[in-house]
Amino acid sequence: MFGSNRLRFRGPAVVALALMSVGISACASGSSGGSGGSSSSAQSSQPLVIGASVSLTGDFADPGKAVKAGYELWADQINAKGGILGRKVEFKIVDDTSSPDQVVTNYQNLINQDHVDAVFGPFSSLLTVPASQVAKRYGYAFLEPAGGGPKVFAAKLDNLFFVQPAPVVKQGDVFADWILSLPSADRPTTAAYPELDDPFSAPIAENVRARFEAAGIKTVYKQVYPAETQDFSPIAAKIASANPDVIVAGTQSEDAYAMVKSLVQLKFSPKFMYMSNGANSPLEFPSKVGASNTAGITSSGDWFPGSTATGSAEFTDAYIKKYGGTADTIDNSSAEAYACGQLLEEVAKKTGKIDNATIISTLHEAGTTWPTLLGDLSWDAIGQPQGSFHLVQWQGGKLLPVFPTDVAQAAPVYPKPNWGG
Amino acid sequence: MHALVQGVILGVLTGGVYALMASGQTLIFGIMKVVNLAQGAMVIASAYLAYQLFVSFGIDPFLAIPITTVIMFGLGVGVQLLFLRPLKRDDKAELSLLVTFAVALLIEGLLSITWKTTYRSIITGYENDSWTFFGYHFTVVRVYAFALSLVALALLFLLLNRTRFGRAVRATVQNPDSAKLLGVEADRVAALGFGLGAATAAAAGSVYGLLYPFYSGSHYDLISRLLSIVVLGGLGSVGGAVIAAVIVSTSSAIVAATVSPAWSEMTFFVILILVLLFRPQGLFGTVGRGAL
Repeated sequence: MFGSNRLRFRGPAVVALALMSVGISACASGSSGGSGGSSSSAQSSQPLVIGASVSLTGDFADPGKAVKAGYELWADQINAKGGILGRKVEFKIVDDTSSPDQVVTNYQNLINQDHVDAVFGPFSSLLTVPASQVAKRYGYAFLEPAGGGPKVFAAKLDNLFFVQPAPVVKQGDVFADWILSLPSADRPTTAAYPELDDPFSAPIAENVRARFEAAGIKTVYKQVYPAETQDFSPIAAKIASANPDVIVAGTQSEDAYAMVKSLVQLKFSPKFMYMSNGANSPLEFPSKVGASNTAGITSSGDWFPGSTATGSAEFTDAYIKKYGGTADTIDNSSAEAYACGQLLEEVAKKTGKIDNATIISTLHEAGTTWPTLLGDLSWDAIGQPQGSFHLVQWQGGKLLPVFPTDVAQAAPVYPKPNWGG
Repeated sequence: MHALVQGVILGVLTGGVYALMASGQTLIFGIMKVVNLAQGAMVIASAYLAYQLFVSFGIDPFLAIPITTVIMFGLGVGVQLLFLRPLKRDDKAELSLLVTFAVALLIEGLLSITWKTTYRSIITGYENDSWTFFGYHFTVVRVYAFALSLVALALLFLLLNRTRFGRAVRATVQNPDSAKLLGVEADRVAALGFGLGAATAAAAGSVYGLLYPFYSGSHYDLISRLLSIVVLGGLGSVGGAVIAAVIVSTSSAIVAATVSPAWSEMTFFVILILVLLFRPQGLFGTVGRGAL
């Protein structure tokens, strides 16, 4: 559901590419140019051109298009309000074919040939890592909606801002927060951790495990399964025989559905169940596992239909008007992309300027949080968001935010109802 | 211990499904000395057909099998006539590897265009049901699938052993030249035999689609498993393929339940290597001559 996390289920090749791309970008020197961007108030009649490379073809084509939809929707909205500081916003979006080489070429062209005023990020950590280096070299701020993996922050860039509530690996922390906030009599005492062998899955469960073990919750099962795993029945059988109170699954998508199905077949329903991804897909998840089997399962989310965060209602209405469908069919990647635009708007409103140096320094201002439809965001020096995801839970066939309390639309239900609701 | 027994139960039931797929594969090899790398793609194609019949017409995947069987039989015959028959005799075995791989890619491409590359699942409403005996769970779909495999394999056995066509097939397997001399139309037997092998993919596809999510590229994993089963059982031996399928999927399930899921995926290939080292003809294969 979250752009940054959604590698193809068959991930090893992609992961290998990711590793290679990090090697390549490590070779490129991290020298930064002067203040980039050619915008100044003198050009106020000129349109404000924002360049972005997104994947319109290849592995990330679907989420890439969702990102594009979010960027363009925001441009429509801001232009209807008269643009940024009186300048009409135009997007120049180019296709990177999901390739880490093409993404570098694209951003170089956007900056050096097209002289765009600002750049937004591509889809996936794989592409964000090399792209952010290019932006850094030319002094461009890099607001990116979909690259939250550890490799993105390893380069320690000061121009990068990951526009989601928290880095990917901390996605599950909100579940740990909730569990550890329960009265000790209600807390689980034993836990199972099935984890997909993927940099966006296993570390999420591992982070939760570290906190649970520190709090005395005993680990009774912990296994990493490869992306090729097709049959989850033996894994589910082993978990069932270990009889944990809580299952914390580091999942991606199809593996999450298959795991739920296997647990249903083996009639093992834990008291608490968290799945990092897959279970937070509002349409796919109930259609794949059966709506009545979703009850009580928790996951993480940032934007959700019906969110009351800044601009969310406006975004939802405009999205449905422009692209059709219902609030439930909106891909989170679109909301995350839209939030990048909201941030630009906020910076301009606050400073009266819109150039890259201003964007970077303003977003880094200590003690300031920035309202978006994903909630209030803020970053550390290397662009890691300082917030937390929301805990979402399936209740009555709907995915609702249940924790932390300030965003909750319902109280969390526990113990998890048995399969079949 | 409970997890182990449960693993064995699941493994044996899954083995039935693999037996069905592998029997077609090994039959085709037996008749024509063709290693059909498109068998996995044909299973996936059948899964898509079953999916579409269910989504569009509400036909239960098990009831769709007669329809898909006819379609897959036709596809198999077509592939044999169009792509395999024109191959020259002396390097036929080597070329057929390339040709059937090309057919697999062709099928994959057509499936990607028709159904896109997102995962599909056949959601019937009973796919998560299971029966419980003495604390052990028997997934309904797997039990049906296992029973179906037994029926299909029995039919295949009767066809091969009780019909004139079957005798012609067996004769061709044992000695193509003598069979020809005795009036067996080898070309026709080859085409029908390939069709028969492909037809087993139809039943397997329905079951596969019920058990696992699939997309057009799923056939790569599948064909590698099928090849290890067929080699373990002995190339050309239908009975061998059945026993090998059960051995392999049971050991894979046991490893997943007791050691680690990571090693489970390796089990197929570890067994394959051991067989190739110590019994290259497979468990039930014969050296040189085909056997069914």
